[in-house]
Amino acid sequence: MANRPDDNPDKFPALGRALMWVERPGGVEKIVYSLYVVCAGLFAADFLYHKHSYLAIEDFPGFYALYGFFMCAALVVCAKAMRLFLKRPEDFYAPKDVESEPFPEDQLERVDYDA
Amino acid sequence: MATEMVPHTALTLVDQLPAFQILASFLAAPLIVVLGSRRLAWPIAFIASAMSLIVALMLLSQVMDGTVISYRMGGWAPPLGIEYRVDAANAFVLVLVSAISTLILPYARTSFGKEIPLRHHTAFYAAYLLCFSGLLGVTITGDAFNVFVFLEVSSLSTYVLIAMGAERDKRALTAAYDYLIMGTIGATFFVIGIGFLYMATGTLNMADIADRIVEQGGNRTIRAGFAFIVVGIGLKVAMYPLHRWLPNAYTYAPSAVTAFVAATSTKVAVYVLLRFIFSVFQPNFLFEFNTLEYIILPFALIAMFAASFVAIFQSDFKMMLAFSSIAQIGYILLGIAFLTETGVTAAVVHLFNHGITKAALFMAVGAYVFSANGSYYDTIQGLGRRMPLTSAAVVLAGFSLIGVPGTAGFVSKWVLVQAALEKGWWPVALLIVASSLLAVIYVWRVIEVLYLRATPQGCQVREAPASMLVPMWIAVLACIYFGLNTDLTIGAAETAARGLMSGSAGMR
Amino acid sequence: MLETLPTAFLYLLAAPLLALLPRGALRAALLLVVPVLAALQVWSLPLGNLVQVEFFGLTLDLMRVDKLSRIFALIFCIAAFLGNLYAWHVKDVVQQAAALLYAGAAIGAVFAGDLVTLFFYWEGTAISSVFLIWARRTEGAFHTGMRYLIVQIGSGVILLAGVIVMYAETGSIAFERMELGSLATWLIFIAFGMKCAFPLLHNWLQDAYPAATVTGTVILSAFTTKLAVYSLARGFAGTEILIYIGAIMTLFPIFYAVIENDLRRVLAYSLNNQLGFMVVGIGIGTELALNGTAAHAFAHILYKALLFMSVGAVLFRTGTAKGSELGGLYKTMPLTMIFCVIGAASISAFPLFSGFVTKSLILSAAAKEHYYIIWGILLFASAGVFHHSGIKIPYFAFFAHDSGKRPKEAPWNMLLAMGLASFLCIAVGVYPAPLYALLPFEVDYDSYTTTHVITQLQLLFFSALAFTVLMRTGIYPPELKSVNLDTDWTYRRLLPRLIGWIAGPVGAMFWGLDNAKGAWLQGLIVRLYHAYGPQGRTSQFWPTGAMVLWIAVLLGVALMVSYVS
Repeated sequence: MANRPDDNPDKFPALGRALMWVERPGGVEKIVYSLYVVCAGLFAADFLYHKHSYLAIEDFPGFYALYGFFMCAALVVCAKAMRLFLKRPEDFYAPKDVESEPFPEDQLERVDYDA
Repeated sequence: MATEMVPHTALTLVDQLPAFQILASFLAAPLIVVLGSRRLAWPIAFIASAMSLIVALMLLSQVMDGTVISYRMGGWAPPLGIEYRVDAANAFVLVLVSAISTLILPYARTSFGKEIPLRHHTAFYAAYLLCFSGLLGVTITGDAFNVFVFLEVSSLSTYVLIAMGAERDKRALTAAYDYLIMGTIGATFFVIGIGFLYMATGTLNMADIADRIVEQGGNRTIRAGFAFIVVGIGLKVAMYPLHRWLPNAYTYAPSAVTAFVAATSTKVAVYVLLRFIFSVFQPNFLFEFNTLEYIILPFALIAMFAASFVAIFQSDFKMMLAFSSIAQIGYILLGIAFLTETGVTAAVVHLFNHGITKAALFMAVGAYVFSANGSYYDTIQGLGRRMPLTSAAVVLAGFSLIGVPGTAGFVSKWVLVQAALEKGWWPVALLIVASSLLAVIYVWRVIEVLYLRATPQGCQVREAPASMLVPMWIAVLACIYFGLNTDLTIGAAETAARGLMSGSAGMR
Repeated sequence: MLETLPTAFLYLLAAPLLALLPRGALRAALLLVVPVLAALQVWSLPLGNLVQVEFFGLTLDLMRVDKLSRIFALIFCIAAFLGNLYAWHVKDVVQQAAALLYAGAAIGAVFAGDLVTLFFYWEGTAISSVFLIWARRTEGAFHTGMRYLIVQIGSGVILLAGVIVMYAETGSIAFERMELGSLATWLIFIAFGMKCAFPLLHNWLQDAYPAATVTGTVILSAFTTKLAVYSLARGFAGTEILIYIGAIMTLFPIFYAVIENDLRRVLAYSLNNQLGFMVVGIGIGTELALNGTAAHAFAHILYKALLFMSVGAVLFRTGTAKGSELGGLYKTMPLTMIFCVIGAASISAFPLFSGFVTKSLILSAAAKEHYYIIWGILLFASAGVFHHSGIKIPYFAFFAHDSGKRPKEAPWNMLLAMGLASFLCIAVGVYPAPLYALLPFEVDYDSYTTTHVITQLQLLFFSALAFTVLMRTGIYPPELKSVNLDTDWTYRRLLPRLIGWIAGPVGAMFWGLDNAKGAWLQGLIVRLYHAYGPQGRTSQFWPTGAMVLWIAVLLGVALMVSYVS
């Protein structure tokens, strides 16, 4: 996440500048570790209140947490496996396909931040 | 029997309406020639045409309930004298013809300015009025030979009108020549057929012929007469495969003439066909049934497809519309061939709806010819933005041609499909829908040419003048109006169909 | 006076007006005024069948206002307003007119009290919306639009067939609850299903939506599919098969969404997944479930539009919406990023965002009616949708690796539209009572229970944890320049090839080996051209003699026929 050499962060919107701490060394780690902490806290919360459940399985401690984690991991792994069969080059359907052609420039308004 | 009818004393002006219907334009034509004034020609023609329209509307309002008006020309009683006979079927056609003519004349005034040399203008309007009155005469008369006479009046003047397109394109001359040959053969066949009928029945009054035919049934003479009349009129109708005169005639005639002729003359011919098939001959004759089912029906189906395919591949908008007309006539003939009341209703409604749709489209073509000097796709490409009103008219009238719901074209196709289903002919119903899809293609090609192709560099084309746009848009709005309000069209057509389907009884 | 004018007509009548107004602010303002007027009208209308017209002997019911149709009409008005505000800068009158006509047709369809009216508007949405795709004006967009149009018109034709059969069987065209079983109801069901992007009938959606213009996609995302949801809710509430169809619908798109590169297509897949939730709700058919469907449709239109807007803004500024080419945009487009995150939070059903208060109605209904497996699938799909829409979209567009792109913030109108949509997303999430009051049935439901909040947070944060872990271990599939095969492959590749393979030899047998090369269809067209083209036998200039010959032939045949019989 390096800046471009010709970047002039002073001209970035104030909000954007304020968020740039995520790029500083350790910034990402801070986010990740706070995520770990929040997750641990939420898992622990399951033991602290009375659950109103429809199903027996919901009463299993941390059911939602585990379900979310493992199902999502499975989702990604499956999807990645699907790529083996489904992935094709971008110009697969070319030429009569929008993927392989540039977006018409006259409908865009490409302006850089410092323009 | 016609002779037993209560003597008719025509005294009041209203009673004389059937005569006025013809006379207004029939007398105005020589008047234009005699006056020889270029300035007066158009107003006279317009007034005559407008008067005809008023008379036609009055007549239609009188016969909408199913009554029949019988008028004796010169007070001579039929069958010796000539009888004019108005019922819902022909009053409806009279309204169509005179309305289209009244609509097209203001348009013609502008469009001819560019397409016809000034010195021909007076002659042109005279010929136009003759053609117009001929068409009215064919429609209104109740005398078989009189039909032939008026048919010749309208045909001869049509040849002249088409030939006037020679100023713009010399091919108009050969087109007119071809039409002349074909038209004459058709008329000859028709008159031979009438000859056979006269031989068999000894009368020329249509109601009378019908009565005699009922008495003696279908003998050989009558059958021969039937075959000749169907083929002769079929040629005028541009029934596939007797259609070859039509595309060239429509394409090379001056724009306003095309719009007028396309919207009226084949329609009048269809009316004559209806009148003879149903009122003069009897729909319950087996030979008639067979002719319709084994000749007219298949050729109607072929026309719907073959002509549509040809239309798809055309590169000239006007020629495309001409071929589409042949396909649309296929629908009308199909309705007739069903030999049911719904079928005939469909035919009559489509006759009217297609008339206004084609009038609108051919007027739009004329606007392109006027502004861009041509109707080839190459010439009109990208004009959607330069001529927005004309192009929008093309889109809307094109929808009506396809039969998009909400337009007149949908109404008639709907009734036609109903008629097919009523008979249990599912495949035919499917074919109707399938050929509509072909119409989608050829209409879409035009829309694509107009809107999706780039306008040529340095294009100076301007929108057509208001005098052309207003009639065009009246026709377009009529397409939409009659697509939403079907009381007038379907009501009149149903009355007409009932009258026609009751055979000779309908002539009473 | 407003009571007698169907709401749809407001839109349909305003569309031609556009052409008269000068390009610019006046025209764009009209585009905003119409939805506002329409919404006010819908709001003030009494319930009941308000406008009836006679048509070919049928009584058409143009304005059936009840609680179900009203909420859909209202959200359609809001969506039209937001979409048009987002498209304020657009000068293209085709798109503007299409947007109005499309919204009008969708609203007309929602208020349709009979199937014939429904059919007219059904086709209306198809025809008007395709122009939002064609307005991109590239060859690819043209072909995509054609495919889209064929599917949409096809759905309409099947609907029409169903209506006709139904009319023949029952003599009624009323649009009421139907029971699957007869040919008519199956046809109608399939027609609805095509527009609703049922599994295997779904691919028009992912094919077409990313092909539209920047603003067109936003408008497209609101109407067609939700119209189908409404129609299913009206016609097939409580049809059990819908539960399973819906469950599959929530499931399979999330896999595709994970590996899809084009972010607008990712959103199209997640749209499909969200529709699945609504379809499940319709299938369960209890009051709670139908309320859930209506509420979820309402919230869904808002946050889906918001997400499409934010990705659209990125596309508008950078010229691409592909994950592989984006990243690091938060620095210069922070507001867009925040709006995108709000949309993402809403679709993922974070507490205090709209999805939380609507999706839970459907999940609760599933659990209450003892559809446990379905409930498990929906829960998985909820986690999955967070995964690909909630995290993937903002992450790859605005963070991830720096693409070096430094676009300016989106223009004011886009920001305003996104801001309004964000506000509504949060407002619904924080204070759902007004939305609940609009629902078709009484609501006795509180989504902010301790259990629900905590379990939902657990689900979402652990999904995020899974994403983080997979990302940091490098297992997560990177965004690649690629396309993924979906059912559209069958008609974009398989079908043409099959036709080529089968028809080639068959054609050769019939027409001689010369014609075998080249695709069959092209061959057919060439043949048609030879027969019917300007130089063809049918259309070329016939010598007069040939015409006369035909007359003779026909006369002979006619004579023969009439003599023989």
